[in-house]
Amino acid sequence: MVGTKDLEAHFEFECKACEDGRCSKADVESILAERKGLKDFYEAFKEHIRECKRMTYGQYMFVIDREVLPEAVLWWHNHPKFKETHMSTAVGTDERPLNGHFAYMPFLNVQVEPFKMDENYWVFLKVYTPADDPSFPSVAAKLPAALWIEREVKDLLGFKPVGHPDPRRLILPEDFPDGVYPLRKDMDYRHSPITEPRTEYRETPEGTTLVPMGPVHAGVEEPAHFRLFVKGEKIVDVDYRGFYSHRGIEKTGEGRLTYNQVLFLAERICGICGYQHSVSYAMAVERLADVEIPDRARYIRTLLLELERIHNHLLWVGIAAHLVGYDTGFMHAWRIREPVMWLVERLTGNRKQYGMNIVGGVRRDLLDYRKEEVLKVVKEIREGTKKFLDIALNTNTFIKRAEGVGILPYKVAKAYSVLGPTARASGRKIDARLDQATKTAMAYHEVDFKVPVYKEGDVLARVLVRMDELFESLWIVEQLIDQMPDGDIFTPIGNLPEYQEALGFTEAHRGEVVHYVMTGEKNKVYRWKVRAPTYNNLPAVPEMLKGYHVADAPIIIASIDPCYSCTERVQFVDVETGKVKVLTEAEFNELSIKYKGVF
Amino acid sequence: MALDIVKLGFSLAGILIMLLLPPYLDGIARRVKARLQYRRGPPLMQTWYDLQKLFALPSVRPTKSALFTWAPYIALASAISAALLLPYGNVVPVDFGFNLVVFFYVILMVSVALMFAGLSVQNAFSHLGSAREMQIVLTVEPLIAVLYGVLAYNAGSLNIADIIANLHATPSVILTYILLAYALYVESGFVPFDIAEAEQEVIGGPLTEYSGRLLGVFYYAIHIKRFTLLWFFVSLLTLPWLGPIGTPGRAALALALQFILTVSFYPVIAALEATNARLRIDQVVKMNTRAFFAGIIILAMAFMGW
Repeated sequence: MVGTKDLEAHFEFECKACEDGRCSKADVESILAERKGLKDFYEAFKEHIRECKRMTYGQYMFVIDREVLPEAVLWWHNHPKFKETHMSTAVGTDERPLNGHFAYMPFLNVQVEPFKMDENYWVFLKVYTPADDPSFPSVAAKLPAALWIEREVKDLLGFKPVGHPDPRRLILPEDFPDGVYPLRKDMDYRHSPITEPRTEYRETPEGTTLVPMGPVHAGVEEPAHFRLFVKGEKIVDVDYRGFYSHRGIEKTGEGRLTYNQVLFLAERICGICGYQHSVSYAMAVERLADVEIPDRARYIRTLLLELERIHNHLLWVGIAAHLVGYDTGFMHAWRIREPVMWLVERLTGNRKQYGMNIVGGVRRDLLDYRKEEVLKVVKEIREGTKKFLDIALNTNTFIKRAEGVGILPYKVAKAYSVLGPTARASGRKIDARLDQATKTAMAYHEVDFKVPVYKEGDVLARVLVRMDELFESLWIVEQLIDQMPDGDIFTPIGNLPEYQEALGFTEAHRGEVVHYVMTGEKNKVYRWKVRAPTYNNLPAVPEMLKGYHVADAPIIIASIDPCYSCTERVQFVDVETGKVKVLTEAEFNELSIKYKGVF
Repeated sequence: MALDIVKLGFSLAGILIMLLLPPYLDGIARRVKARLQYRRGPPLMQTWYDLQKLFALPSVRPTKSALFTWAPYIALASAISAALLLPYGNVVPVDFGFNLVVFFYVILMVSVALMFAGLSVQNAFSHLGSAREMQIVLTVEPLIAVLYGVLAYNAGSLNIADIIANLHATPSVILTYILLAYALYVESGFVPFDIAEAEQEVIGGPLTEYSGRLLGVFYYAIHIKRFTLLWFFVSLLTLPWLGPIGTPGRAALALALQFILTVSFYPVIAALEATNARLRIDQVVKMNTRAFFAGIIILAMAFMGW
């Protein structure tokens, strides 16, 4: 048990100002009065709350006793008034060098009212566990949304979620030695893989046959292993094993790179939604530094985010068509998409991985005469897509394969905290662009757009949601170009406060991306946690697959627009030798020094 | 003996067409599909190049089963024998008694070889593909049998040449043509009916474990089978209505007509393929069952003399 006293001793950070709400001495009453619901939560869990503070605008943290963790998370997740509230994910941190404890912190996207960014907020529920007993009662036993994250902190930090229904390995490879936890700060790098890899697959249920979709399968673009248990062609149950593209990015970012270097690493998390990650990360650091970035920078960021969404949705609809054998749709969708790639190459210098961001703004200005080009491309895309949809949605066989397939009911979507277009196709009214205060880094509150929501929850609904969104994005781009303000594009950041936390987030094409950053000393990052939307969407896929045909599996899996490399960030495995090789701290420092000034 | 030389010549032409044309037809289809997708597309010879390359490569054999090795050759032999039973001009290279029945079975043998090939290896996708092939065969073959029945009843013969010579246009025959077009399209396994070999779903189905020469032989067999079914349909469509084909000149004209129609039907098929998504097996089974009952009604109509 962690007592209040133990904690207080370690929270004497030099906070900027108590009125800021950021430190333990701030006025609790005034903080709780800021948003609806905070007070109620405080009243309900009074005896168990050790501390409450505002981390930054619209982000509140409660330090609570670990015994009440599941109740506290469920209190928010199942809040009767705030219907779309969901558990976003959690962060596990090794805070032993700071206060001798491990910290586990689920956080929730609280939606007082959908699409009202100044009323909604994030709630962080932090739990401290003693260094010799890092256990906490499992939330996953009652809330499937926590299934993966608890397995993750078990793998990477050695936490023990007591009562977890499925405590198998999630992230680490089968031959990873026991008792080595990569995200602990005292991780020993000299361990070798164990000689006898242990696989932990689920038993094939009686009377079914196993169809292994993956680790490499023509219908899935990246390595992922779905083990379909089928009767005839009907899927009875599914087991998932993934994380084959786990790269240890979080560990790389922590403690060695400076905050601006991490930004470029963040952009390389994903080949498709890289800019979303980069903006999320930049936003988190900007929140920490408490700077306001210039309007023009916000507009340029938003413009690129939307262009990224446009090309992603076209890419996705192409793949979806390909997976049901409709190759003409595939080719045309990608043909329509290509001008966007050329356009962003003109604007940023790169087709992908724009390298446009920097903490505090953007690196390149948008030349005024390029505006014409953007508008021209937008027009082209709109016409092309309209024609494409006209043909694709009138292709009887395509509709037959998409309609009524892979249905995800609203309740399941909510229980798994499914995000993005997948959630919106199941009737969830969520969109992080408007739900949470993106206004510090982006310009969504200054443009007008609708968020399409469908109720059917099948593959067709997911297609339609994305296509409606595409047109909205085109409209946003036109508005942004029209309203583009003048001015600077960059604000210098200066030094970051030490050991402060904040969250950055965007609505990527697949759902809400969150980057949690805890600063360390000397402008380094102490803990960086990335959660891509697929991390929440993928655990729900087995639910969508059950009861459908093997033939439907590829399109159902693809319908959430999975991105495995995004999801599987976090350990180095040398692919050539198969040996686990992690750079030593010295090597890392060398790298950082070598590339200093490059960024 | 002069007549025999003419017959020999036509048979030879038929054999050449049947062996050389099918990969070119696939080349046409690929080109048409490419154009519909705003691509330039491969040269017409591309399918031949592909086959040439495959024939030159050794195959990986994942099983000791002899069936695995023999199945492609059985399929090829069946496809070729089926093609030999069809008329080229007015000459049927292998002409005997009730060769329509033989044609039906020999074409079926290609699917059967494919099915057994898939079942001869330990691979879930092969098995799934074979099971799908079986379901398609089980639902489409009865339909084809009924339609052949209508034709045979109408012409009063089970010999393909006789049927062509004696067919007379009645409503039931016209309906049979329509359903036959559907049934043969399904049997050929074009999109949306390429379910057994669906690449994205069952990564090639029965062909999953095949590589190199054996795969090439299978592909060749499948191309010839598709050509054969189309040639059969085209022959039924043209030859009965040309009047008596007595002279070699008229026969050559008939052959040219068959050839041109076959080649010009392929772009239509390619366009159908390009504008459709693949169906699911249960959907196809349902469609085939409906078509079967329609076939029964047509048969009844034929018996009534309509």
